[in-house]
Amino acid sequence: MNSAKLVMRSISKRFGGIAALEQAGLEVRAGEAHALMGANGAGKSTMMNVLGGVVRPDHGQILIDGEVVSFASPTQAKQKGVSFVHQELNMLPSMTVAENVMIDAMPTRGGLVDRKAMRLRTAELLRRLDCTFSPDTLVETLSMGDRQMVEVARALVTDPGIVIFDEPTSSLSEREKRRLFDVVLGLKRDGVAVIYITHFLEEIFEVCDRVTVMRNGTTIETRDMHAITAGEVVTAMLGSVEAEERVRPAFISIEPPLLAASCLSRDGAIADVGFEVRPGEVVGLWGLLGSGRTEILRAIVGLDPLDAGELRWRSGDTLDIIRPDKLHRKVGFVTEDRRGEGLLLPLSVAKNISFGNLDKVKGAFGMIDAAKEKTFASGFVERLRIKLSSLSQPVRTLSGGNQQKVVFARWLGTRPKLFMLDEPTRGLDVSAKTEILRLTAELATEGAGVIFVSSELEEMMRVCDRYLVVHRGRIVANLYGDATKDDLMHAVSDGRVAA
Amino acid sequence: MNHLKPLVGLPLVLVAILTFFSVMTSHFATAGNINAMLHAMAPLVIMSCGMALVVFSGKLDISIGSIAFLSATLAVLLINDHAVPPILAFLASLVAGIVLGALNGFIVVVLGVNALIATLGTMIALRGIALSLTGAVLIPLPTQVARLGNLTIGPLFADIVVLVLVVIAAHIVHRHTVFGRRLNAIGNGEDAARRIGLPVDRTVFASFVLSGFLAALGGIVALLQVGAISAYLGRGMEFTAVAVVVVGGISLFGGRGAILPGILLGAFIFEAIANGLNQMSANPYAYQLITGLIIFLAMYVDAMQHRRKAAVRTRR
Amino acid sequence: MTVLSQPQTGTISWRALSTFLLPAAIIAALLLVMAFYAPNFFRFNNMMNILVQTSALGVMAVGMSFVMVGGGIDLSIPANMAFSAVMGAIAMRYAGVPGGVMVMLLVGTGVGLFNGAAVALLGMTPFVVTLATMTVLGGTTVWMTNSQSIADFPELFFEIVLARPLGIPVSVAVLVVVTAAASIIFAATTFGRSLYAAGLNARAARVARVNVEAVLLVTYAVSGLLAGVAAVLLTARLGSASANLGNDGVVLDIVSACVVGGISIYGGSGRPVGAVLGALFIIVISNSLNQLGVSFFINLVIKGIAIIAFICLDRISSGAQR
Repeated sequence: MNSAKLVMRSISKRFGGIAALEQAGLEVRAGEAHALMGANGAGKSTMMNVLGGVVRPDHGQILIDGEVVSFASPTQAKQKGVSFVHQELNMLPSMTVAENVMIDAMPTRGGLVDRKAMRLRTAELLRRLDCTFSPDTLVETLSMGDRQMVEVARALVTDPGIVIFDEPTSSLSEREKRRLFDVVLGLKRDGVAVIYITHFLEEIFEVCDRVTVMRNGTTIETRDMHAITAGEVVTAMLGSVEAEERVRPAFISIEPPLLAASCLSRDGAIADVGFEVRPGEVVGLWGLLGSGRTEILRAIVGLDPLDAGELRWRSGDTLDIIRPDKLHRKVGFVTEDRRGEGLLLPLSVAKNISFGNLDKVKGAFGMIDAAKEKTFASGFVERLRIKLSSLSQPVRTLSGGNQQKVVFARWLGTRPKLFMLDEPTRGLDVSAKTEILRLTAELATEGAGVIFVSSELEEMMRVCDRYLVVHRGRIVANLYGDATKDDLMHAVSDGRVAA
Repeated sequence: MNHLKPLVGLPLVLVAILTFFSVMTSHFATAGNINAMLHAMAPLVIMSCGMALVVFSGKLDISIGSIAFLSATLAVLLINDHAVPPILAFLASLVAGIVLGALNGFIVVVLGVNALIATLGTMIALRGIALSLTGAVLIPLPTQVARLGNLTIGPLFADIVVLVLVVIAAHIVHRHTVFGRRLNAIGNGEDAARRIGLPVDRTVFASFVLSGFLAALGGIVALLQVGAISAYLGRGMEFTAVAVVVVGGISLFGGRGAILPGILLGAFIFEAIANGLNQMSANPYAYQLITGLIIFLAMYVDAMQHRRKAAVRTRR
Repeated sequence: MTVLSQPQTGTISWRALSTFLLPAAIIAALLLVMAFYAPNFFRFNNMMNILVQTSALGVMAVGMSFVMVGGGIDLSIPANMAFSAVMGAIAMRYAGVPGGVMVMLLVGTGVGLFNGAAVALLGMTPFVVTLATMTVLGGTTVWMTNSQSIADFPELFFEIVLARPLGIPVSVAVLVVVTAAASIIFAATTFGRSLYAAGLNARAARVARVNVEAVLLVTYAVSGLLAGVAAVLLTARLGSASANLGNDGVVLDIVSACVVGGISIYGGSGRPVGAVLGALFIIVISNSLNQLGVSFFINLVIKGIAIIAFICLDRISSGAQR
């Protein structure tokens, strides 16, 4: 029971010059639930992809039951007893539970699918997972929690020795979470080695025996859950947060609010959210991934629906009620998915910048004037110092940082009074990050209101004037720019309203 | 038997149609007429089964009419010009269907061309080849062979037996073989299927091969019914097959529906309308109008269901 | 990371190659063959004939290009054209030439709006919606005409549409105007930009404040309108309106023209000029093969192969984007 089921040693992996994993290690025992924690980009996913056979490490060793193994594909990993329950469920909605569970391992008799055997095996697995629905139920009629159980069942078909859970609770109700925890406990009892990845600190204290924290591609420490506190875990995850220099001093805006939101809700994502944004200030929405920050932003501008709530926008002396799709026209929204939603990749830099600004680049007869477009775009290229060789090159060919600057340029052109920046520095190198933060401060100094969302505390502390702490779709604290890193970390790890 | 739910309206529609035509004409609901209708719809049903298999995986094969035409042409030429015994000639046709289906599969899976465009291309090209082989004239089969078209087994036409066998076989393949379940899985979500580890490419390729085979079989049956090869064989069949598939409750988005009873009901509805209008001496193109309306209605229902289900899926 | 990429990436020049140079090369080769084996090809009358034939197909291909760049497809264009032609022909008996032409355009646009509403507002699959419309219109047209063709057009109609002011046939002029207008719309209007965005990535388009539903609705209305224009041109040229105008061979030609013209079936790329050149390509191939005595059927084979080959090239040139 104390022997290591899985050992990953000195795993290193580079993707095109960038080290995703640097001498990372992990050791999990049979019958143990082992938490794997780390901020975005810390290397957890790559580590698990190595274990799951999706990616081959450059260096390092994997040992299962003391035997060195190497996987060329996910199928090989499965054969060695590694099962992965992904965050994104791979469900086949119009098919039955039994079919979903056994689709990759269907029993046959005489050339035809043996439905009885399928049903029996599935029922056995469902019982083990304490599920009450029948194997003949259609998956599309099941709740998210039940579907996840089906995914777990599929992972268990091969009787794996190692099961990885990746963010299993992000879409579950309280009751469904409890059931999942029972499942993990059950697996432990059966001697399975469980690796549990989550952002929700309180969960690992409930369910796991040990925790390994990763940061910057390497393993920081591994400790027993009894011997560590939540705060220590967060510190290990985020590193010592040196009070890095602010890009501008904390600013308290005394002007009347630009935007006032109240009672915003959407079932399953946002609950009773209310806040204000004033001109000239940078308000940070701080919380760990999955806390609902992006959902709030998207709902405000109508990209996702709102079940309830009210938005008010300043016009003249009053705050008038405004609909999300109308607010969309007044706000500059830098989304967190730069490549998928922020830009139109095959189009040129100039064209991407002019979107939403087309009225400014028109010439005779209301036609878009290519020369005007170029001039307009080059103004921003200069101001933001975007590195490119030609305004007509496809934006897809720019580096991440420069792509992000193009996104900013587009919204800057529309001169909005409010900017919403969702993870604007994600995937950028250090100097690009600083440039974006400076730009953010500039926007505020010029009089706009800015809502800034990020999972990196250090960067938020360099630019935010105020912090709204978000946890599970609710705003749980409102702190001012003079809040210390401890205050902020407490707020996010406790998940309770701070003093 | 959950796949039957969306089809609840179909039997009602069928009953309505049968009643209407029985009242308006004198010979509609007789055993002899029903026999004739089943006989006439045999090629359509056979080819629709092939189309359905491809549609289950979320793709389309609009070349089936041309494959039917070319395979049948091959048979006629072998029999007439090379004195090949009919059995061997028809066998060659079926092989041709398999090869042509494989061609489609190659273009879609290996070359990665969108299925609609790929089969559009083969549809045009293969029809062209067949037309150039026949010179677009009517080529009759030798009488002994043509007589096979009227072969009966007991009171039923032989091709009805073929129809029944094909439909049952296709249904079993779809619902009760690993291959069929994989097709359905791919139609539910190709990315999910790949991530689960299913052999998507092989499965899709095989579905095109089967579609080609059944198209050839349908072509042979059609050939025997007419007793000659004409430039119209199979023409427009692909669109009618899509209509039968859609009306039969099989979603074009993939992964939903089943061959039985949808294809039979769907094909029978269209055949009944054609037959009934014919007996009423109505304008033959009223058929097209009504067909179009039925397709539109079925599609509307399909789209509404798809949206409802998609909405539920994304709610977290 | 401040890596600069080469401005002329391989992708860009490949695109130009496959879209324009390859078909141009094929045509050049063909012309060479023509010069030797069928010099009649180059006679003025034949050249004019080609241009006139291209005008109707070209106009419809431009309409299809609107729909395809938005990511959809419209199989009902020829059936719509035939239907509008017949309706217009009937109207012309009572309302004269202007009335008849107006009806052709309005009916075409109306059908287009219907398709657009079904696709954009009800979320139905473009392929099957327009397939159903195609079937219904086909049947209706034959029903209305009783399988006959309507040939009692006023002389004035032919005088106007078949005129050749300054030696240029009116239909060719119409094609040029339509193409020019479409090109300007695609390249230099807000709508054009929105259309490319909607076809490339509807999600990103929405973030960029594009009203994707409205844009798609308009594309189908436009393809319907242009089907109406084609109706005018074709009825004048053939002297009659019948359901046969919209036989399913025409749909294949339109799709082929767009595919060859570099308009991607997935949406987001292609230009109307490409569609017209594609139409020209198709007509030239047909015409020249005809002159060479090649059977009509081999023509079909070549068409089919051309479509597949061009899509393959399209995929190679866009690399790993999809």
